Amino acid sequence: MIVPLEHVLFLSAILFMLGLGCVLARRNLIMILIGVEIMLNAVGLTLVGASAFWQQIDGQIMVIFLMAMTSAEVSISLAMVVYLNRRKGTVDVRAFDEMRG
Amino acid sequence: MNPLLLFLIPALPLLGGVFNTCFGSRLPQRAVAAIAVASVACSFVLTVFLWSLGAGEGTRTVLFSWLKSSGFQADVGLLFDPLATIMTLMVTGVATLIHLYAAGYMAHDQNQARFFALLNLFVFAMLCIVLADNLLFLFLGWEGVGFCSYGLIGFWYRKAENASAGRKAFIVTRIGDLFFAIALLWLFRLFGTIAIDQINGRAAEIDPQMLTVLVLLLLGGACGKSAQLPLMTWLPDAMAGPTPVSALIHAATMVTAGVYLLCRMFPLVSLSPTGMGAIALIGMLTALYAASCAVSQREIKRVLAYSTMSQIGYMFFAVGVGTVSGAMFHLLTHAFFKALLFMGAGCVIHLAGGENDIYRMGGLKQKSPLVFWLFLAGILCLAGTPLTGGFFSKDAILLTAFARGDAFFALLWGLGVLTAGVTSFYSFRLLYLVFLGAERQNEKGHELSPLMLWTLPLLALFGLFGGLLNLPHLFGGHEWLGHWLGQPVGVVLPVGTELGLLLLMLIFFVGGWLIAHLRYRTFPGDEQAGWRNFLLQGWRFDTLYEFILLRPYRLLCRFCWQGGDKALIDGVVEGLGQLWMHWGGYARRLSTGQIGFYLQGFAWGFLLILGWFLLMSVK
Repeated sequence: MIVPLEHVLFLSAILFMLGLGCVLARRNLIMILIGVEIMLNAVGLTLVGASAFWQQIDGQIMVIFLMAMTSAEVSISLAMVVYLNRRKGTVDVRAFDEMRG
Repeated sequence: MNPLLLFLIPALPLLGGVFNTCFGSRLPQRAVAAIAVASVACSFVLTVFLWSLGAGEGTRTVLFSWLKSSGFQADVGLLFDPLATIMTLMVTGVATLIHLYAAGYMAHDQNQARFFALLNLFVFAMLCIVLADNLLFLFLGWEGVGFCSYGLIGFWYRKAENASAGRKAFIVTRIGDLFFAIALLWLFRLFGTIAIDQINGRAAEIDPQMLTVLVLLLLGGACGKSAQLPLMTWLPDAMAGPTPVSALIHAATMVTAGVYLLCRMFPLVSLSPTGMGAIALIGMLTALYAASCAVSQREIKRVLAYSTMSQIGYMFFAVGVGTVSGAMFHLLTHAFFKALLFMGAGCVIHLAGGENDIYRMGGLKQKSPLVFWLFLAGILCLAGTPLTGGFFSKDAILLTAFARGDAFFALLWGLGVLTAGVTSFYSFRLLYLVFLGAERQNEKGHELSPLMLWTLPLLALFGLFGGLLNLPHLFGGHEWLGHWLGQPVGVVLPVGTELGLLLLMLIFFVGGWLIAHLRYRTFPGDEQAGWRNFLLQGWRFDTLYEFILLRPYRLLCRFCWQGGDKALIDGVVEGLGQLWMHWGGYARRLSTGQIGFYLQGFAWGFLLILGWFLLMSVK
């Protein structure tokens, strides 16, 4: 393995934190979704790295599943974003607070 | 004769009652009355036919075992001994006549099915008391009588005071029932059985002091049912019921149940001199108290109610001085003449157009001479006119008391004689005010139905000649009742003494009559005086009980309600709720509805967990 595992882990951790930061900080629904995607891909990267490290194929298989699931998730989420946009004319998350106690 | 036939005696009224309960409302009113009368009449006829079974030791028969649990056994069993026989005959006989009368009296009422069903069940319950061979079965009848009286006194329940009179009767007698129930359980614990004959047979085995307490408990039970001091307040109010009910409750049944219980348990009761003294004392005090109240009552039925109380007091007194036959003798004659008087009063009220107040009657003799003569017969018996049934029975009791000889009974005897005088006075006062003098009522009277009128002469006959049942030797009789009850030896006094006592009684009787004659021959006008009101309200016992029992009870209830329920329980429950609502208000602010906020929480939580794991791994 050319790239050491630590590097892969560092990269994916940075990616994950970036994604988390995006999810927490942004108010735009689409940007939040993008943040979620980045976090998912960070996890995927970890899996691939670990799979290469231990010479086990399972991690890569799981990533394939992850990609399929992500595409489905994204299509549903985007559909919902469109729907929400139609309802309130905005994609700002602060507008959607009907679940307030 | 098959002893099992005895079960038909109580079963027939039960059947009649149940049938009328189930189907009575769909039958024509006449059929309902006919069924009720027939069922009671049949059990009367049956009693007459089965009379011989009761002679001597009597017959004991068991239909089935009611309750059975290791040592405890209660049978549905009858004890048809001489005492029960004579009582059954009286109850069924008088009840038949009252049912007949009721058929006439209630002819225009809409709820005859309910009325006659209750009336029949009442007779059934009374027969249970009379015939039961164990105390639990007796208690069943005891409670049944209480329930039916509640239903019957409050029969016209749409008027609030009738309903509350029913409740009062129920609750006050229930206090007595409590004593009886305790006595019952205690007797079972002592003897391991509740069969009456066994308890009576083995009564001598137990500790005299415990026996005294038991007798007092039984006396408490009897006082409740028989309206004796201090549980007598329900009886005058019970007059709210229809007149046949008053006749049934105050003549043949219910109020005599207490006396009967004491007679039934006499072998046990008689072993405790203190208990006997208490019975005599309570009886005589009640007799005097009730007689004094009767003197100034204005409602015709209340006069009779107090007179009943007074006469029952004599019966208690008789048991207390140790003469069961005297008590039973008075019970029988009293049943006849009191039923006659009550049903006569019903006729009077009809004639006066629904008027109850004797100050607004008068001159009814012209309206219906027949009712006058019949009522007169009843009054003569009540007042103890020589040679009537009431005279002989009362005289027998007082004679026995006199013969006891000690100071305590001599004093009670004196009170008894005095009471006899007062009785004579208020009896004739009633007669004069109702039948003689000028007419004072405004209402137009109703016609009497023949059914009501023609049941009375028979009772008048029995009342007047009831003395023949137990005619003393002095008058050439054989004291038949005493022999039948197995108590043949009455008192033996020198003939001179006995004649002297008779003369004394005669003086008091005539004295009472003369005072009534002088005062009430013409109507003296409405009497208003403090002492009269005092007597009118029964010595204000109701007010007294209001103060010493009801007020504290209400205060206690108020405390339990306001303090216990509202403040404590509600306070704790509602307080907890308030507490959570309050704190929940703060927690509610956490739920902002903002996704970002939630996600932050998520992230902080994640960090916390991560930090925790790091900390653990470092250690």
